[in-house]
Amino acid sequence: MTTLDSPALARDQHTRTNPVWQVQAEIMKIRTTKLWWLLLIGVVVVTAWALLRNGASHHYEMYPPLDQFPADERAQAAAQAVQAKTHAGQAAIAADMMTSGQFFGVLLAMLLGVLTVTNEYAHQTATATFLINPHRGAVIAAKFAAAVAVGALFWAVSTAINLIVTPIYDSSQHISVSVVDWIPVRSTLLNLLAFIMWAILGVGLGSLFRSQVTAVVVAVAVYLGGAAAVLAAFNLIYLAYHHTWVLAAPVIAPAIASLVMITPGRAFDHAPPQWVGLLVMIGYAALLGTVGVVRTRRRDI
Amino acid sequence: MIILAVLLLIGGGVYWLSRRQARRAGEPTILRGGTLPSPLADGASAPLAGMPAPSGGGPGRVVLSGLTKRFGELTAVDGLSFTVEPGRVTGFLGPNGAGKTTTLRMLLGLAQPTAGSATIDGSRYAELDRPIRRVGAVLEGAAAHRGRTGRDHLRVLCRAGGVPLERADEILEMVGLSAAGRRPFKGYSLGMRQRLGIAAALIGNPGVLVLDEPANGLDPEGIRWLRDLVRGLADQGRTVLVSSHLLAQVQALADDVVIIAHGKLVADGTVDSVLDSLARPTRTLVRTPEPDKLTAELGDTALVTPAADGDLYIVGVDAAAIGDAARRAGISLLQLTTERPDLEDVFLELTGQAAIR
Repeated sequence: MTTLDSPALARDQHTRTNPVWQVQAEIMKIRTTKLWWLLLIGVVVVTAWALLRNGASHHYEMYPPLDQFPADERAQAAAQAVQAKTHAGQAAIAADMMTSGQFFGVLLAMLLGVLTVTNEYAHQTATATFLINPHRGAVIAAKFAAAVAVGALFWAVSTAINLIVTPIYDSSQHISVSVVDWIPVRSTLLNLLAFIMWAILGVGLGSLFRSQVTAVVVAVAVYLGGAAAVLAAFNLIYLAYHHTWVLAAPVIAPAIASLVMITPGRAFDHAPPQWVGLLVMIGYAALLGTVGVVRTRRRDI
Repeated sequence: MIILAVLLLIGGGVYWLSRRQARRAGEPTILRGGTLPSPLADGASAPLAGMPAPSGGGPGRVVLSGLTKRFGELTAVDGLSFTVEPGRVTGFLGPNGAGKTTTLRMLLGLAQPTAGSATIDGSRYAELDRPIRRVGAVLEGAAAHRGRTGRDHLRVLCRAGGVPLERADEILEMVGLSAAGRRPFKGYSLGMRQRLGIAAALIGNPGVLVLDEPANGLDPEGIRWLRDLVRGLADQGRTVLVSSHLLAQVQALADDVVIIAHGKLVADGTVDSVLDSLARPTRTLVRTPEPDKLTAELGDTALVTPAADGDLYIVGVDAAAIGDAARRAGISLLQLTTERPDLEDVFLELTGQAAIR
């Protein structure tokens, strides 16, 4: 027997493990099952739905059917329409249109992040994965990297649709602010950040729970339920302690932090600046990542 | 309200999908397309084609030293020490729940020992550089994603291990799964799954192989193929550790055996030395029309006890001596069979188990 028996192995001259291999393998794992494109179809659907909804809503805002309004609201609606047609108003609308599909798209990116980890246990592939790469921290790190790629892909697809539809919509609504104006561009880039951060949080959450079902339920609850619960809780606290910081504090909930991060200006009354939202999101990613790596390292497979 | 409803719908859908997938992962194997195709029929070459002599990285000696694993009050593996030598097939035997799989998982870095160590060439598994090129393992429960093809499963492993992707096709051909490799894993029979597991273990042409019940689900032809493969791999100088409950096969295949019970070592050595250690000696079954005359001819050196149907069990002299005695006395022998205790006798005596899995 000679090495000629395996031309492939004869070409393998590596002596040490390269961390990039694991990242490539993680992306390949995602690519070789149906889940990613099923979720990507979901991104397309929610983007299209959000474009319709946002388009209708902004049309109504700019061109309100004033004759159908009660007399006392008519003046306010007309003032809003004037405001919406200013440069700043048009820029905000363009930005909103360019980030259509964010709310659910981000959720889908997070779910893919969760499933990249929990699938390893649900399908019992963790054994093979950790046999090839016994450095479990490196495996989880590779999953984070793959999640960044998936988040970016989902964002790119959603943004591509928005980029086609928004100029057509803007032209039909006599909006003169271009989609390449800094304000819509800034929102689009912040949107990319949101997709990536939530995909990363998904991996972190996935590595905390061995059960796929638990991980998915907790992830959806954190994204959807967390914001409302934290807002309600801090409003109650504000009733007892009349300090302004209490009204800014809901930013500790990931969903609110994300909202703060992607909203130019203030996301809500007394909201902290954007960078605070970004810091909170990075903090969660780092915390979940660290806990996930520690738990995965100690776990018997 | 609409947003909330859609959210609940998405959350519920994903929950349902994930639950279905998780449930399916535990389903019994679905047999499709009848029996496992013959590896030769599927274009497979001889068992060792595609497996050059093992690559470097040390002789491949596996050493377990005081290896212990406790799960709360339960001690699954209790101070286990033994060595597995290169160039030999070592059978790893024990009753159900004896701690075999836990031991192998600790050796492979998948479970943390409570005490003691398990090393390959002096290094713990996690310390090995590119373990794909040093150690290959087939473990119980090792599987692939249900929706991924066997070929893609192997390509993912190649990618993670830094091995050229073409190796996946080479190894699929070797285990006789070239055609099936293009189909999703969920349609594989148990035998095909085992072959895929063996393929995964052999990707990096490792010098050490750890196989946990590799014959499970293989048909007789598959078992023979596996036996030839394992023998050939050991003859190339590899270290092969095989856990199995098929004692006759282990006896036919293994050079050494390690037997454990309740997490403790009960026997360790070459197959012959372990067989010889059994209290019951080799005996000869004799059928003759003149049993009394033969007994008298053998004298005091032989211990003769009656067997069924008027036959005799004779201990203390071997078959040749019995034949000589019969010839001297002019006694005809209708049957003369040497009965050596087999691995099953040893196993049952040492582990005190009436039945094993």
